[in-house]
Amino acid sequence: MTFEVDPRTALNKLAFGPGTTERHDIAKTGLEGWLMQQLRPPTDDDCAARIAEAHLRLKYTSKTPEAEVDEERPVGVIAEPIDQHWKTVEKNTPGQERTFLRTAVAAATLIRAVHSRWQLREVLVDFWHNHFNVNALGDNLVAVALPAYDRDVIRRHALGNFRAMLEAVASSAAMQIYLNNRSSRGGAANENYARELFELHTLGRPAYLNALYNKWRKVPGALDGHPQGYIDQDVYEAARAFTGWTIEDGAGIGAGRRLPMTGRFTYVETWHDNYQKRVLASEFDPYQSPLADGRRVLDLVADHPATARFVCDKLCRRLVSDTPDPAMVSAAVKVWTEERRKPDQIARTVEAIVRSDSFGRSAGAKVKRPIELYASFARAAGIDITPTPGLLGELDASGQRLFGWGPPTGHPDENDYWLSSNMMRRRWSLLLGLADDAWKAGAPRIVPAIAEKSTPEEAVGAAHRQLLGVEPPAKITLAIVEGMGLKRGLPFDTRKDALPLARRLLAYCAMTPAFQTR
Amino acid sequence: MLTRRHLFATSTALALAPSVRAFAGPELAPAAGPLLVCVFLRGGMDSLGIVAPVDDRDYVADRPPELRLLADGDKPALRLEGTPAGHDFRLHPEMGGLRELYQDKRVALVHASGLANGTRSHFGAQELIERGIANPDEASQVTGGWMARWLAATGAAQTPAFAAVPGLPEELADHADTICAADLRGGMNVPGGKQAVAVFKHLYVGSSAFEQAARRTLHGIVLIDGRLREPDGKVVAYRPGGGAAYDDTEIGRGLQSVARVIRMDLGIRAFAVDMGGWDTHENQPPRLANLAGQLARALGAFHGDLHDRLDRIVLVVMSEFGRRLRSNKSNGTDHGHAGLTIVSAPHIAGGVMHGSWPGLSSARLDNAVDLALTTDIRSILAELMAGPLGTPAAPAAVFPHLEPKKVGLI
Repeated sequence: MTFEVDPRTALNKLAFGPGTTERHDIAKTGLEGWLMQQLRPPTDDDCAARIAEAHLRLKYTSKTPEAEVDEERPVGVIAEPIDQHWKTVEKNTPGQERTFLRTAVAAATLIRAVHSRWQLREVLVDFWHNHFNVNALGDNLVAVALPAYDRDVIRRHALGNFRAMLEAVASSAAMQIYLNNRSSRGGAANENYARELFELHTLGRPAYLNALYNKWRKVPGALDGHPQGYIDQDVYEAARAFTGWTIEDGAGIGAGRRLPMTGRFTYVETWHDNYQKRVLASEFDPYQSPLADGRRVLDLVADHPATARFVCDKLCRRLVSDTPDPAMVSAAVKVWTEERRKPDQIARTVEAIVRSDSFGRSAGAKVKRPIELYASFARAAGIDITPTPGLLGELDASGQRLFGWGPPTGHPDENDYWLSSNMMRRRWSLLLGLADDAWKAGAPRIVPAIAEKSTPEEAVGAAHRQLLGVEPPAKITLAIVEGMGLKRGLPFDTRKDALPLARRLLAYCAMTPAFQTR
Repeated sequence: MLTRRHLFATSTALALAPSVRAFAGPELAPAAGPLLVCVFLRGGMDSLGIVAPVDDRDYVADRPPELRLLADGDKPALRLEGTPAGHDFRLHPEMGGLRELYQDKRVALVHASGLANGTRSHFGAQELIERGIANPDEASQVTGGWMARWLAATGAAQTPAFAAVPGLPEELADHADTICAADLRGGMNVPGGKQAVAVFKHLYVGSSAFEQAARRTLHGIVLIDGRLREPDGKVVAYRPGGGAAYDDTEIGRGLQSVARVIRMDLGIRAFAVDMGGWDTHENQPPRLANLAGQLARALGAFHGDLHDRLDRIVLVVMSEFGRRLRSNKSNGTDHGHAGLTIVSAPHIAGGVMHGSWPGLSSARLDNAVDLALTTDIRSILAELMAGPLGTPAAPAAVFPHLEPKKVGLI
């Protein structure tokens, strides 16, 4: 079956909007060929060179002048292993050294969103970063762990196998810190990670049956070994299973000894609660080998049918619409379940979503989130991105704080949330600033060509075609031309202010409902 | 028909900002009744670390000293009168400002209150409380958030509400017009100024959700931004009344924004504010002390600021759940059940801790681990609607599934 939908619809959902590369690729191989390549991207990072060249200013003062820093720090430092970054955790190292790592990962994320050829991977990386949310703004230790989390956990598995990804997340320093498992100890385990593992990472809230049942055996299906959902008793037991999973963060392990300071995952047997457990109606014998209890929990939750439904529904809502067609979700669930032992389970599931009947009919169903608005504008208007603190600050203020959302849910994925009056104002100011290059983060290449049009309506036409691929409806041309106090038919290119006017009308074209949704 | 009132409305809007006339809705009548401010503490406030019977045997046995309130030491917890007999109930030592309001009988506490549902999920519990329901299946029979339904029940379905948060809060879900602005100190202008407004007037004429939201935003800006500025366009710094001063914290900024909008007399009756950070699974003692202090200081500032209007303001502070009685080994507490609701309203039975106290022995705990629930939070809200909010018919419409129980606030 070939993939036949409007390429613009596909690129608005499977990419951060159409860019020049996609136009060429699709002309060459067709949308079908493009999709097949996107589902199996090479492992290397095609933006590595751009990221290596990017710099961000890092400045802080100190009591000792020789320790003061004011420099253009390469974003490329994020390629280093975690033990290198963990050196910033040492006493007396200013917090800016740690928070810089979050800023650098955010900068690299924007570079890839705009310039990577492997757009579907970038879209899914954004999905999984929200699904397995950590907050590097709330705790700068999470920022230290973020480059490794982004690279070795989220990016590595974004199109891969969910069970493998789940264990990578569970043993990552970022998640160990964020949901406190590193301080969990047998006897009175910390339930934070175990609870969100069930509720947010795997089975999902619809399968949380605690308001209905308070004994494991009462959960329907439990006595046959297939409980329909989970209750608090499963959370308690799973929390026990993960005791001892921790990171080398210098914590004391007894007799004056301490774990090393590397940020790497480790297991401390003496912290583990070794007695028998029961999770999702499965018995765990006491004294299992190291890590076996936690891994068994991950096997159980990854294989549970509720997980397939929950994650596939979320994928459909992210990629397609707030109210996805149930047939599309079912098709995804089927593939997810059947292919769950395959290394490319996630890619196959995404393919099922994309090939389902209603995918092509969902144009405009989602309001773009700020990062999508930014990247799709940059790609359409031809911005060669230079990440700057100004741009990153504006995006933070836009409501989508990359790697800085507080609760473990990740950013909301419903249109209503992104249409509040505060968010709307931010959408407008983001586009005006991008068109004007207010943050010195790259000017839209298309602006001079718009300024060369002989009349204002032709200029609006050029801007609209560039952003949306079609002529603007007459109403929109009129709204922009007259709203800007210009007169139709009068000369435009000869005006002294043609360039600033061109920037403005480009921004207004991006404020149309057609560009604000995908 | 062109009425005098309509003319007045139009001329006011014109005077504010000529170019935005198209977005000015009908001018709002001055606030027709008391105002409702809802503060939501996100993450699950450890109510047993905020108000607790410090001499209760189980309390003492089940928590190490750093995770409980103490009657002695360098910072003893603050004694509360009007609490259930037989115990020494105290308030977190950082909450002196709240105790003053309690002693002045402006504030009442309802312990062991909250969501009448067994969920320990943040997001499940928040959604149910904000929707004003106890079970997900009730969602099919009511629409939107409980504050939105209260506004509709009071004939204010089309009146703007104000939320000092960035995105639309669930309490106001489905309300026709909510103005969101987490911080008003920078003003609330239209980016792009008059030119942008002139463009938007013809750009956003359709019925899509996006266009409706764009029009609402412009309308909200007309209402608020003009009143934040000097004639030269500069944003005026807010001067709180009564010499009050707000901290630069999430809750400080939020309540300051609310107070400022209240003083504009726009006819807005419902206000929502958030304060995050209460999910203290790890390293709780300093974090909770910090949060408790921020909350109490912000509440103190808000009451000081609006001292001349308190007879018309009803404020309620809630959280999705309380936390586990027994602490974990991360020096924190995990998700629990019943929590604490703080109420501030005129002419209520203040200076009292209402609700029956279930006790902390294992047999008395919910599922043997968490503070049991004795007051459904909706009974508190229903009583406030019937009493100080002056909307006695509202509870039946807002909470159709609830049989309210007497709390004793009125």
